Amino acid sequence: MSSATWRSHFTFNRYSQICARALRQSLKESERVKAEKRGLTALRYQHWENGQGGEQVYLVPPEGKAAAGAK
Amino acid sequence: MLARRTLACVGSQPSVLGAAPTNARNMATLRELELRLKSVRNIEKITKSMKMIASTKLNKAQRAMNSGKQYGAANAELFQNSPSEEPAKRKLFVVVSSDKGLCGGVHSSVSKATRRVMAEQKDLDPESPVMVIGDKSKAQLSRVLPKNMTLSFNQIGRDVPTFADAAGVTDLILKSGVEYDSITIVYNKFVSAISYEAATIDVVTENALKASSGFKAYEMEDDVTKDVAEFALANAIYAALVEGHACEISARRNAMDNASKNASDMINSLQLQYNRGRQAAITNELVDIITGAFHLVISDILH
Repeated sequence: MSSATWRSHFTFNRYSQICARALRQSLKESERVKAEKRGLTALRYQHWENGQGGEQVYLVPPEGKAAAGAK
Repeated sequence: MLARRTLACVGSQPSVLGAAPTNARNMATLRELELRLKSVRNIEKITKSMKMIASTKLNKAQRAMNSGKQYGAANAELFQNSPSEEPAKRKLFVVVSSDKGLCGGVHSSVSKATRRVMAEQKDLDPESPVMVIGDKSKAQLSRVLPKNMTLSFNQIGRDVPTFADAAGVTDLILKSGVEYDSITIVYNKFVSAISYEAATIDVVTENALKASSGFKAYEMEDDVTKDVAEFALANAIYAALVEGHACEISARRNAMDNASKNASDMINSLQLQYNRGRQAAITNELVDIITGAFHLVISDILH
């Protein structure tokens, strides 16, 4: 456990999301479709400095579209 | 009265562009009323359909909320046994709302609660960072607390929030390198299908957990403590997101219900006004015609 090297690369949350994705992809087809919906996120975020918002960035860029939308 | 009427109608024809002022005014008001009636009818259709959609979504959202709250409850035992020794001076506020409007006072409730909590605690650092999930509260809080805003998120809340959303938000918060002693999540608590109220969840940070005397009883390694703190934050954010989503949908249902009721009341009163106006215009035209015809007959008889 303490010799795990993933801790230096990402957080426990990311680790659990990766494991969850692996588990979902290994499910039977009908269950997999239902479970995939639980792993979706379209999150966008922007940093703020002094009351000014920065550029909006997608956490997971959607397929085939430009990621950032400046505001 | 008859003489005046005769004078008026000898040189006039009742028409849409109406020479006689009363006729013209009636027609113009009638046209306006008709347009207003049509637009209020459209609005009633729209608000009614929005209410239907919100009612169907509410069931799913409530089920997700009931199962999602268990995640938040999981933290409770840990935090209860290892309370923080010193009061937090610099708190990170995570405000949970959403991007869409037309849902009553959901967003302003959370924004006001944040400002209230910030004002109430006397020794709070005035530069306590604030992070906002949802564009509506972001707009409100960026006007009131521009210096405190550090990070904002959107595109959450279109559908039921997933744990992936909460994990993503948590990771971004931790990666941003903002300093704080503890975290306060401000969200809307689901009281019933017709009411909600703003509430807060306090989350203890890794350092505070390590410093707490109750925590030593758990005998955890440092690495695992960090994991627990991160996971606890993601749990708490997920519970707040799901409950806030359910509150927003029920508030939207209620708001659209009220709007539809108001719109149908307006339709009734406008319809009555329109009918009265229409009947008055018809009566006036009849009186003009009859008076004109009457005078023609009289002048035939006399000459």
